[in-house]
Amino acid sequence: MNAEGKLVLCADDDEDILSLVSLRLQRAGFEVATATDGQEAVEIARTRRPVLAVLDVMMPRRTGYEVLEELRGDESLRDIKVILLSARVQESDVARGLDAGADAYLAKPFKAQELVAKIEELLES
Amino acid sequence: MGAGVLAIAVYFLLPADGQSIFYVVIGACSVAAIFIGSARNLPPEGRLPWQLFGLGLAGQVAGDAIFAVYEVSLDREPPSPSVADVFYLAGYPLLAIGALLVLQRLGGRTSRTAILDTAIIFSGVALVQWVFFIDPYNHIRFGSEGARLVAMTYPAMDVLLLVALAQLLVGPGGRTVAYRLLLASVALWVVADEVYSLNVNSYQGGDWIDALWLGSYVVWAAAALEPSMAHIAEPDRRRLPRLTSARLALLAAALFTAPLALLIERAAHHRVHAFVIALGGAALAALVLLRLAGLVHAVERAGVAERVARRESEQAQQLLAYQNQQLLEIDRLKDEFVSSISHELRTPLTSIAGYAELLLEEEEDAGKRGHLAIVGRNADRLLALVSDLLFAARLQYGRLELERSPVDLRTLVQQAIDSARPRAQAAAVELHLETVDVPRIQGEPAKLAQLIDNLVSNAIKFTPRDGHVGVRLTARDTMIRIEVSDTGIGIPDADRERLFERFFRAQSALEQQIQGTGLGLYISKAIVDAHGGRIGVDSTPGEGTTFVVELPAGGGG
Repeated sequence: MNAEGKLVLCADDDEDILSLVSLRLQRAGFEVATATDGQEAVEIARTRRPVLAVLDVMMPRRTGYEVLEELRGDESLRDIKVILLSARVQESDVARGLDAGADAYLAKPFKAQELVAKIEELLES
Repeated sequence: MGAGVLAIAVYFLLPADGQSIFYVVIGACSVAAIFIGSARNLPPEGRLPWQLFGLGLAGQVAGDAIFAVYEVSLDREPPSPSVADVFYLAGYPLLAIGALLVLQRLGGRTSRTAILDTAIIFSGVALVQWVFFIDPYNHIRFGSEGARLVAMTYPAMDVLLLVALAQLLVGPGGRTVAYRLLLASVALWVVADEVYSLNVNSYQGGDWIDALWLGSYVVWAAAALEPSMAHIAEPDRRRLPRLTSARLALLAAALFTAPLALLIERAAHHRVHAFVIALGGAALAALVLLRLAGLVHAVERAGVAERVARRESEQAQQLLAYQNQQLLEIDRLKDEFVSSISHELRTPLTSIAGYAELLLEEEEDAGKRGHLAIVGRNADRLLALVSDLLFAARLQYGRLELERSPVDLRTLVQQAIDSARPRAQAAAVELHLETVDVPRIQGEPAKLAQLIDNLVSNAIKFTPRDGHVGVRLTARDTMIRIEVSDTGIGIPDADRERLFERFFRAQSALEQQIQGTGLGLYISKAIVDAHGGRIGVDSTPGEGTTFVVELPAGGGG
């Protein structure tokens, strides 16, 4: 797969994690857009049309679930792949994320290779 | 008693003079037997009632002796009244008091109801005695008024004995042989007196009625000699006077004496004692009414006491329920707190582990790489701890829910061993693995991996340098068995039962300052339970420990 130039949206209210994820994705060859809350994530998704979004679940203004619902409810945004990222790892949380239409659910802390591998897997399918 | 019966038989065979003497002999033997029996069976302070019996009967014997002297030496009956009557009559109160003392020592209470019961029985008995036994003497010609008075005193004294008899009948000592004998002897005496009163004109010495008096002597002596008489001096708490059926029957009988006396007099065409019977009936009715009032009162009191007790019990239950709820709430808050803290801890840990990993990839200096590896490893350790805490907190909410899929335990065990190898090497512990192909089980791979990793990590942690840790995977029928054994410090017997409790740490682990949270085995057991399996441990302190996990191939419920 060629990651070159593909835009990935990263949204997390924790800026340290946000820059870590961005850095990892940039090194893997992706172009990265960042958002620090759910509302901003929705706006960037509308304006810049990423191929994939990595969304933290617990974000201010709009949670990762709500962003996911917004994307899935919009005809033009429906195709964006979504990976939910959360420090909440209970089965019920995972199930809720997948039910809402997430393509994957990753628990924090995650290994960088794990995240990149998951993204590449989703973009290939 | 056999000797007594024989003596009575002999009595009836003797000539008249011999009879008189033998009668006295039997009585005297009985008195002696009572004193001997009470001395033998009772401690000094308990002998008083029986000494009274002895004295009372001695009075009778003395009277008999005076009679005998008249009959044998003077060949005539003594004058009436005579000295003999004094002895006879003095004996009655002693006998009655003796009987009441026996009852008192048995625990018969002198409560209001007991006194009322006695009064009711007394009234009934007195009424009967007056109408049928005492008053008739008013209509018979006597040699003197003194003789009439003495004759009337006997049935009056029988009132005392009858009351004592009635009290003994409903008394609390009915189970012992001696008590029954005592009851029989009093009854015989009273019956003899009454029968005599009815046949006073036709009575002759040597009459069959004598057998009743003699029988009373013999039975009374037998009661005193019977060993169980010792027990009827001890209070018996199980048989406190209550409204038993016997007592009720006796009270009813007393109540019916007035109308019955009236009917009998009418039937026999006697002179009707209207005034006395009416008075006695009224007295009985009043007493029974009082007794009834006492009963109603007691029932009311019991009702009030029951209501109070029920209210108190309800209040206690409410308080308990409230406290229970508070405890549950506190427990829930604690678990929520742990869960929330775990979540908050994961976020910074993500950064620490993530950036350490990043730096480790970029760093070329071996020393710094080593340091970064340490940061990474400790972040992982902290994360494992946080995960365990979260896991344990969630287990408190309810049963562990599994996301089942077919699991190949052989692969899982293999992977766990591979990832544990660096730790084993660092601890200089040799790691053995022995596996066979086993049926797949239905379970959650991540949880089962955590289980095996917990057990292997523990084994390595508790095994000193140059020790061994072995993992064996076997299958028998549909049961798959994982054994993790080590040559570690072992677990004392005292700790083994509590090993799988939350936050429990074995004393040996604490002493050797081996780190841990006390959650690993608790979580392991929860995982095994959720898969429908069993976990157990076998250990010899100082030699080693083997944990055995058995999982059903079906994966349980």
